[in-house]
Amino acid sequence: MNKDKFIPSMFHRRLVLVLGVIVLAMSALGAQMFRLTVVEGSVRRAAAESKLDRRTYLPTTRGRVLDRQGRVLALDQASYDIAVEYDVITGSWMAFQATDEARKKVGRARWTELNPEQRIQAINEFLPSWQAKSDRLWFEIRKAGNLSAEKLQRQLDAIKADVQTKAVSVWEQQFLREQALYGTTEVQFQARPIREQSQPHVILPRVSDDVAFEFKRLQMELPDMFEVASSSRREYPWMNAEVPLPRNSLPRTIRHADPVTIKVAGVADHMLGAVRDEVWAEDIKRRPFFDPETKQPRDLGGYLPGDVVGTRGIERVFEDTLRGTRGMVNERRDTQERNRVEAEPGTDIHLTIDIALQARIQALLSPQYGLTRVQDWQNNQLLPQGMALNSAAVVIEVESGEILALVSMPTLAMGEVMNPLQKQINMPVVNRAAEMPYPPGSIIKPLTLAAAAKENLFALGNSIECEGHYFEGKPTIARCWFYRERYGMGTHGPLGAEEALARSCNIFFYTLADRLGIERLTAWLGRFGLGRALDIGLMHPSTDEDGLTILVGERAGEIPTPKVIQELRDKRELKYSEVILGIGQGPVTWTPVQAANAFATLARGGVIRDATLLTHDPRGSRPPRCEDLNLGRPVVEAALEGLRRSVMEEYGTGHHITYEEDKVREIIINAEKVNVWAKTGTAQAPAMPMDSNRDGVIDKKDTPLKGVDHSWFVGLVGPKDSNKPMHAIAVVVEYGGSGGRTSGPIANQVIRALQSEGYLPGDADAPSAAFISAAGEPEPEDDGGDE
Amino acid sequence: MTVLASPSPAKPGTFTTTGLRVNTRSLHQPRVMFSNVGWLCVIAALCLSVVGIAAIATTESSYAVRQVFHLCLAVIGALVMALPHYRWMQRLAVPLMLLALALLVFVLIPWVPQSIVRPRGGARRWIDLGITDFQPSEVAKIAYIITLATYLRTRQNYRGFLGLLIPLALSGIPMVLVLIEPNLGMTMLFLPTFFAMLIAAGAKIKHIALIIVLGLSMAPASYPFLRPHQRDRIDALLAQVQGDPRHEDDIGYQGARAMTLVGAGGVLGVGKQKAADLIEYNHLPEEHNDMVFAVVTCRWGMLGGVAVITLFLVFFTGGLLTAALCKDPFGRLVAVGIIASMFSQMTINIGMTIGLLPITGLTLPFVSYGGSSMIATWLMVGVLLNIAMRRPQYMARRSFEFDEG
Repeated sequence: MNKDKFIPSMFHRRLVLVLGVIVLAMSALGAQMFRLTVVEGSVRRAAAESKLDRRTYLPTTRGRVLDRQGRVLALDQASYDIAVEYDVITGSWMAFQATDEARKKVGRARWTELNPEQRIQAINEFLPSWQAKSDRLWFEIRKAGNLSAEKLQRQLDAIKADVQTKAVSVWEQQFLREQALYGTTEVQFQARPIREQSQPHVILPRVSDDVAFEFKRLQMELPDMFEVASSSRREYPWMNAEVPLPRNSLPRTIRHADPVTIKVAGVADHMLGAVRDEVWAEDIKRRPFFDPETKQPRDLGGYLPGDVVGTRGIERVFEDTLRGTRGMVNERRDTQERNRVEAEPGTDIHLTIDIALQARIQALLSPQYGLTRVQDWQNNQLLPQGMALNSAAVVIEVESGEILALVSMPTLAMGEVMNPLQKQINMPVVNRAAEMPYPPGSIIKPLTLAAAAKENLFALGNSIECEGHYFEGKPTIARCWFYRERYGMGTHGPLGAEEALARSCNIFFYTLADRLGIERLTAWLGRFGLGRALDIGLMHPSTDEDGLTILVGERAGEIPTPKVIQELRDKRELKYSEVILGIGQGPVTWTPVQAANAFATLARGGVIRDATLLTHDPRGSRPPRCEDLNLGRPVVEAALEGLRRSVMEEYGTGHHITYEEDKVREIIINAEKVNVWAKTGTAQAPAMPMDSNRDGVIDKKDTPLKGVDHSWFVGLVGPKDSNKPMHAIAVVVEYGGSGGRTSGPIANQVIRALQSEGYLPGDADAPSAAFISAAGEPEPEDDGGDE
Repeated sequence: MTVLASPSPAKPGTFTTTGLRVNTRSLHQPRVMFSNVGWLCVIAALCLSVVGIAAIATTESSYAVRQVFHLCLAVIGALVMALPHYRWMQRLAVPLMLLALALLVFVLIPWVPQSIVRPRGGARRWIDLGITDFQPSEVAKIAYIITLATYLRTRQNYRGFLGLLIPLALSGIPMVLVLIEPNLGMTMLFLPTFFAMLIAAGAKIKHIALIIVLGLSMAPASYPFLRPHQRDRIDALLAQVQGDPRHEDDIGYQGARAMTLVGAGGVLGVGKQKAADLIEYNHLPEEHNDMVFAVVTCRWGMLGGVAVITLFLVFFTGGLLTAALCKDPFGRLVAVGIIASMFSQMTINIGMTIGLLPITGLTLPFVSYGGSSMIATWLMVGVLLNIAMRRPQYMARRSFEFDEG
């Protein structure tokens, strides 16, 4: 008998076991429920509630950038784009539609029974009508955009190729990322269609309202194939101009009675910068719109895909100011109540530059005008005649420190049409006015004088003797420029400060530098703004190759640091370096804007007002420096007198140019009704990179050109009757050679430009520039400020 | 009426007057106990059904009304099941199983017209009877329990390890047929039922443990044989458990939504209107059948969920007590089998709702909407009631059989 099977005690024990398992399982369920409802309850409740909100976001506009006259330099322009669905571009849309229609006609049940050939036959019945729609669409697009069939086809092929490449790279990246995170294999990876494959693509950008309206009507006949999307583009209306420049005050080689119209492209583009309409991961990380955890909107000014982001220049530096905040309308689906937050447009940025002046100066610096080409009167022994040179010019208003023009040639727009070798040589990306430190050369002499006078190491009114070379018994180093074969080993003899400046005597300033010593002179140069970026409004953080964050946009230049001084001491070159520092050679460099700024400080008697591009800085970050070097009237007067004589006295280096063949002389500064105080500088430059072996690239195999000089002309100008400097001007021509001969005539034209634009009295008969809008039609310039 | 017999020495196989007197008395006593443990199960089941109706009413009041109708039908069916002695089930076990298998095969035949077997979501599980759909797998479940109970009652060899494998292999037949439908969820119910019944019948625990361990270690190897959507669900669960939101919006959305709504309920729940809104706008799928537990927890909070689980516990306790009090081995095993299958179903359903198990197509007994599942489940309640109602018989009764045989 099978009694033992059913001994109550064993069976009941088993039942208890079963009950135990049941209770255990229920406890596990209970614990998980506790976790979800109590521990995570509020988060989950919020997540569930968030689905009850129906949110729409209201768009906003980016702030504008204006110049000092209120002209709008950068703005969002509303327009329409005609964008065609990707499937229509590839042709698969027509196939889908025909398949759908065929399937509907045949009936679902029958469809599954058909074999592939029969299916294709059925589809082909309907395909032509869909194809006709597509043909109609392309016809209308070609008509509206005035495109030939090949041009359109090329555009479409480019889009398809672009999207395919993007898809492959996106999938590859996704696969690698998933592999790194989750250990997926190729089999498990699911390639989902990338955004661009299910999006419409713009075929006709920025069409007129009429065209947009026509296409909207067309949409009723051809639904779901394309989109008339309203968009906005960042436009720079003052980017291109035609500037008529007079030539009757130029050196005789290029003088002409009639003006010439110079086309300039990329006016102020280094400064204004650019935007991209792709949002990158780091933008979203820096300022996300949605909180990554709760997925709720956190910052209405945050980034969403499709937004526009500044990439460089003012657009980048003031990204957060220019960017507006979106608005939000939140409707609760259950209660229907709404609340609304309005969108805020971005804040405008006001720049101190005058765009008409900027365009005019850029035209002056164009090789087409002639002043920035190697010309006969420049006596450039090393470079071929007619070779175009790169240059920069800065104009600062002395009283306020505001920058009226900041020109760097070549501009970015000019760089875009260069081939790689030209780009390597000319570096169009660099803003030479603020980002390229050059050795100052003689330009620094007024600052040396001021330093020595303030340190009571030189009494104004005394003289120092120029004996041709500074160190006794060493006639080949630390020489005056006059002490050369060419000039018959001349010496200046005893000179007072003013004459020494005007004649640019090296010995005088070696002496002052020697008396100061390198530390004191360095300290004074620092006070005048060297070795420190002025932060005019172009600096922004960027990541370098090593992943570190650095500030780019402006450079600080270089002055001797304690480490450098120690090295020089160790190499026993200290004395030599000390004295040549007084004439702006050695471990010292500055940018053109620092040069103009230093001269403006001098003109202000030592009051520091750092040059700036902004009327007021919306970042409100740091308070402007308010220091006064207290130079005192005697020092300033002595320096200014020296600078005046340099230009006005016959022995001044900035007075005239001489034509070698017939020794005819021409005055450099021939502008009338103005006072000019200026210093020329011929600064020994580092060797010039050249493609000497003509292999199309500049590398170690090429020999750079030695012995070249940068040409400087830096000074002050003011109205004749006031005897006070009003503007500081700095002009530098890379590898231009002699300061007076090359940069002098340019500075002369800059003064005339200031006169034309009404900043100085005098020559106002120059015709105004015509600015060309992006659509190619010239807009008459809104002339601000005739006399 | 007493019958006097000649006294003789007690011998196995013979009966004494006392035994005869007692047995005769027992012949006269009514064989049905109206107050029995089974009512505990009935009450729990009724409460759960009412909770279910209320939960369904949160979002779909028309379904709730229909569910009331299903409940009435089901209760009637249960009472019908309870009336005749469950012995007949024992006799009909094999024919019932064959019928169930035939129905399972019928559902899978591809030539059957869609008016009879309507595929839903690619699964061929239901036979359309006009007023309601009818799942052969439900019949198979009941038939399986009964057949297995019959088998275990008449055999002994499951005490040995190899003897276990035979019923395990035979169980494979209905399991595979259900799996092909496809219906992974229902398939998963067979095994716990099997193990529970074997444990109750007396199989050695270490053998069972060995089989379970072997099975679990081989389970991951079956992954490639699963259908893609089944694999997706396992992937989604793994991702969810690791806190990875990768699949939250595609294959894992059901689980994610369910968990969100379960959590949203908090301790006390959010009330009817709010729950209805949250469920609607969070797009909870299957909110009246598979995911009904999420509705319960959302509307009545953790306390509501705990209440439901407690009601199930009451139900299971009632069932186990029925098994304990019943002296008949067949009855015991059937009771244990029913409890085991209901328990597995409840655990799998609630587990998937709260994110511990992958999504399957199993409904929550009594609470989920559905005519055929309601009727099938209540029929099982009827069987339990049936077992509980029968007066416990003495062991001696059995010896009658052996004597004759």
